[in-house]
Amino acid sequence: MEKKGRGSRKSDRPAAAVAAELKEKRDAFLQSFFKRGAELSDELMQENRRLRDQLGALEAENAELKTQLASDRAIRDLLKKIDQLERDKSRLLSTVHEQEEMTGQISHRVTQVENDLESFANLYVASFQLHLSLRLRTVIRHIKELLQQLIGARAMAIYLADEGGQRLVPVASDGIELASVAGVTLHDGAVSDPVAAVVERTFLTGVAHIAEGAVTSEPAACIPLHVEDRPIGAIVVYGLFAQKAAFVTLDRELFKLLGAHAGATLLAAYMYTAGDGRLPEPEALRSLLE
Amino acid sequence: MSAPQYSCLVVEDSPMMRQLLVLALSRVKNLRVTEADDGVDGLRKLAGGKFDIIITDINMPIMDGLKLVKRVRSDPAHKGVPIVIITTEGSGEDRKRALELGANAYITKPIQAPQVIAKVKELLKIAP
Repeated sequence: MEKKGRGSRKSDRPAAAVAAELKEKRDAFLQSFFKRGAELSDELMQENRRLRDQLGALEAENAELKTQLASDRAIRDLLKKIDQLERDKSRLLSTVHEQEEMTGQISHRVTQVENDLESFANLYVASFQLHLSLRLRTVIRHIKELLQQLIGARAMAIYLADEGGQRLVPVASDGIELASVAGVTLHDGAVSDPVAAVVERTFLTGVAHIAEGAVTSEPAACIPLHVEDRPIGAIVVYGLFAQKAAFVTLDRELFKLLGAHAGATLLAAYMYTAGDGRLPEPEALRSLLE
Repeated sequence: MSAPQYSCLVVEDSPMMRQLLVLALSRVKNLRVTEADDGVDGLRKLAGGKFDIIITDINMPIMDGLKLVKRVRSDPAHKGVPIVIITTEGSGEDRKRALELGANAYITKPIQAPQVIAKVKELLKIAP
């Protein structure tokens, strides 16, 4: 009986066939081995790619985080800067307020200086012109001009007391006929005319009457005239020009000047004019001083 | 470059007001002021010089301010010179008449120096 087995089969097949089979198996093995190797290589390549991608993603994430960190730092810096700027701003605002306040004060001071300058100019001119001449007509004209041009008097009169001090007599007027200006009897105790009452009171008390606020009634002002402390007359302003509603501070200063100087100027002008402009002999003048 | 020089003619019969105006105008830099005491004197001064501005009163002897304005406006040599009227006449009629005759500004007395200075600077185009 024929044994069936490898040995017997091997032995049955020719060596070439066995070799071919072996070669075939080896090739198949090799093929399978290489195929597997290739697959492994592919897998490795894929894994590598995935890792690379992951690395790239991580790197990008890292960069992003770094940027964010930098950005956070920048924000912190910016906040610090903003804080500093806020402090600077409030400091500057405070300086601006101080400057504005100072500017306001300076502006107020400039206005005050302007007003003072205006007052000084007017007082200087009034005083200069009042004492410029000793001719009675000129002095009277200057008083009228002062009242009209500098104060804005529409109508006025100058009164002088008579020798006995019983009556105030109008001696000059402007804006009103002298003939229509009534004299004022002093001490009669029953003056019915309101203007005369003011004139009498002003002369007797030596206290000027100057309307406060808008001038609505006559007289607008009445100024006593003095020579030293002696009352010699009064200046009456009946009304003001339409464009001038009320007296201002400067007018009160000009009235003060008139009250103090006009009397003496009028008296000196009267004596000079009455003496025909003669100058005193030095000897006579000297004897009066002794 | 030197600043331009201006000249102003003040026509006013009241020495007090003239002096006050001269004092006020002395505060305008580079402004030379010439005084005239009535309209005729004003015309005489105008004929003898060149003026950039005229300030005149209305009520004056010999020739009043309105006649002066009329004469100046009809004189080719001076018809363009700005004229400021400074007067006690405060009525609208007077103002209207003065402006119709060719005055550029109308200021009533009593004057305030800053007002006069501002008007002069405005008409001479000097920065305030």
